[in-house]
Amino acid sequence: MSSDSLSPARLRELVKSRAIERVVVLGANGTMGYGSAALFTTAVPHVTFLARSKAKADEGLQSAIDQVRSPTVASRSATGSYDDLEAVLANADLIFEALTEDFAIKKEMFDRVEKARRPDSIVATVTSGLSINALCEGRSDSFRQNFLGLHVFNPPNEIVGTELIPGNDTDPDLVDFVEAFARVRLGREIIRTHDTPAFAGNRVGFKLLNEAAQLAEQVGPVLVDRLVGPYTGRAMTPLATIDLVGWDIHRAIVDNVYELTNDEAHETNKLPGYMARLMDQGTLGNKSGAGFFKKDGKTRLALDPASGDYKPEADVVLPNLDYIDDVARLHAQGRYAEGMSLFLGADGDEAAMARKVIAGYISYAFHRVGEVTDTIDGIDRIMATGFNWAPPSVLVDVMGAKASVELIERSGLPVPKVLEAAVASGEPKAFFHHPTLNTGKFFVAG
Amino acid sequence: MAQGSKVYVLGGYQTDFARNWTKESKHFSALMRESVVGALEATGIAPEEVESAHVGNFAAELYCMQGHLGAFFTEVHPAFSGLPTGRHEAACASGSIALLAASAEIEAGRYDLQAVVGIEQMKTVDSGTGGSYLGTAAWYEDEAEGVEAPFPKLFGRLGDEYDKRYGLKDEHLAEISRLNYDNAKLNPNAQTRTWYMNKEHALCRTDDNPAIGGRIRIADCSQVTDGAVTVFLASRDYAEKYAKGMGKKLSDIPRIKGWGHNTARLRFDDKIAESQGAEYTLPHVRSTITSAMKRAGIADVNGIDGIETHDCFTTSEYMAIDHFGITKPGESWKAVEEGWLEIDGKHPINPSGGLIGAGHPVGATGTRQLLDSYLQVTGTAGNYQVEGAKNFQTLNIGGSGTTSVSFIVGV
Repeated sequence: MSSDSLSPARLRELVKSRAIERVVVLGANGTMGYGSAALFTTAVPHVTFLARSKAKADEGLQSAIDQVRSPTVASRSATGSYDDLEAVLANADLIFEALTEDFAIKKEMFDRVEKARRPDSIVATVTSGLSINALCEGRSDSFRQNFLGLHVFNPPNEIVGTELIPGNDTDPDLVDFVEAFARVRLGREIIRTHDTPAFAGNRVGFKLLNEAAQLAEQVGPVLVDRLVGPYTGRAMTPLATIDLVGWDIHRAIVDNVYELTNDEAHETNKLPGYMARLMDQGTLGNKSGAGFFKKDGKTRLALDPASGDYKPEADVVLPNLDYIDDVARLHAQGRYAEGMSLFLGADGDEAAMARKVIAGYISYAFHRVGEVTDTIDGIDRIMATGFNWAPPSVLVDVMGAKASVELIERSGLPVPKVLEAAVASGEPKAFFHHPTLNTGKFFVAG
Repeated sequence: MAQGSKVYVLGGYQTDFARNWTKESKHFSALMRESVVGALEATGIAPEEVESAHVGNFAAELYCMQGHLGAFFTEVHPAFSGLPTGRHEAACASGSIALLAASAEIEAGRYDLQAVVGIEQMKTVDSGTGGSYLGTAAWYEDEAEGVEAPFPKLFGRLGDEYDKRYGLKDEHLAEISRLNYDNAKLNPNAQTRTWYMNKEHALCRTDDNPAIGGRIRIADCSQVTDGAVTVFLASRDYAEKYAKGMGKKLSDIPRIKGWGHNTARLRFDDKIAESQGAEYTLPHVRSTITSAMKRAGIADVNGIDGIETHDCFTTSEYMAIDHFGITKPGESWKAVEEGWLEIDGKHPINPSGGLIGAGHPVGATGTRQLLDSYLQVTGTAGNYQVEGAKNFQTLNIGGSGTTSVSFIVGV
């Protein structure tokens, strides 16, 4: 699986073209900081963990060791505080910024980085939402030419999907080098995106998650997670995903998108009011012990969005959802096309609700082509390798272009032109082209 | 020895060995279906063209409570209903035994196009239970019953035997582990491609790299893997037609140039007793390798551009290095130290990552090795390509060096 622009030979050539011996991670005590630092130790002999204090950086190092379960992280690593910044940056080949998602904090740090860095050092930010161009605005040519976004997903030792976001002034050769280094040496699946709010993966992914959260207000979280469950092309259900990610992170992403974009699905990116209310009371998902779901001993409890109360999931009365079991039985035998066909033809309001979410996902993704990535391929790959969801093109291929267009039309959503064209001409036969990426794995039989 | 009509390899498909099909709530049949459908798509072969199918599998009766695996092939596509199929078993060499049977039928002129499916779903049980199931590849009652992790112990003893005969250092085994994990990072279907591993870790003598059996620690072991690999083998007539359809010449289509197959006595002790005073520690393994070379008309390992060997443990790869003739017996460490085994080295071994890096779905390993050899000699192995490879050799071993099969695939 690769973005086609760089051949294996070119990748090898690029990797050899430049040495990355010393990496400095800023904010190395945070989840993205220590996770990325651990990743760098797989390919780089000297990785320096920096944080507000050396004690914090040491905590980051320990977290890195725990995450990848190898004490050998330590022998490739050093720790320090920002007091050491200037001295450490003087030798750094790559500076990886993983501070809090706060523009002012990052800006202040980059002021210091700009003064201390070697003119040829690479500066990468792991930001998931801030603008790459804004972050380097007004800085020197050397800084802007060597600055880019490298959006790693958490935890980086398990999730390989990574967005690479060049700024307007980033040196194209440097972008190629970073892609090659990240792919060959760090095992990343690199998706190049444009500098747009939430980039590609979170823009498309959190739209579906937020829509699920909106639906939960109408029908409750248990039914939503059943309807938009594994059988629709994902290992983890949507609301359980928001609980895992954290409600605060979810809010930061969708608020940012809602504020800075105005696309055809604008209102689906609006955070539901009940989530804001409950967050004020401390509900943050798994990290606070309660979200859409919480555990009471071995019993899983589900939220009532209206009241904020929880009751055992088993007590929630669900409508007849036999069709989901039938789809799952087909998926279990690897008969995914038949399974999805059954889903498309299933009776009842619930199936229609589920279909609308899936139709929305496909429609929204295809309409973002040109805006967030150059082609649907980038969106497909980040949904596959960053979210572990069936990519939009895979759903279209499995259901067929004609059935996909009908699905989107029936849901009252805008039909992407390329799908209409595919129906009219019979081309392309398939939208997804990654022979080594197993698309069957997304259709979990549950 | 007689060799009839030539056997061509048209390619195939490997499932992603990192997948856990139990977690996906999938039945064994889904694994077979994805691998066969994937192979049809990868090769552009129409289902109606397939004349016969051979399934290689070790222990679906234990792992999946399912036998009669040949019949599952007919479930994949309506056109397969009625085809002659069967299942082959020789422990970890099951996939290669299926390949041998299919190729023999082509040589005999019975069929022109055969599907060979190697398959194993292993993550259905916990590691203790799985280890015991694997013990049935040894003489269970004598070597495995009541023994925790019987196979790591048996291959630990292979290392002990090397140590006794020639001396053996842990650092050389650690380097073998490191190389397989490194290569796996280049292979998009390798099970361990995202795992954290390096030589220093492989040398750890702590709980991060626990002892499993004898001198074998976790970093020395191949993986417990769910996976299936389907390849298509064809006669000259079919290959000629196929090449034409693809706009290629027949000479572009790789073929099985040579094969070797030996079975030694089952118990490890008996094998070692037999080889006392012999040049090689496992003489029948050596014979398998050399008979494949002889049939291919290749004088020695210098005529081989790369190897996919059976590194079920680092000790088995250490054994393979001298048995292939890369070094003199007992001097495998030299090849390790000199970097000959690297993808760009003199004698690349396991560019795929092998069983340690790519994974070891037992019944699928033989077909996986053959498919990787096909990818190498057609220049389509992507980031783990050995530049300019023309001839690749496999070594697939069942039991403790008991059943050995080797193929040479070349253009």
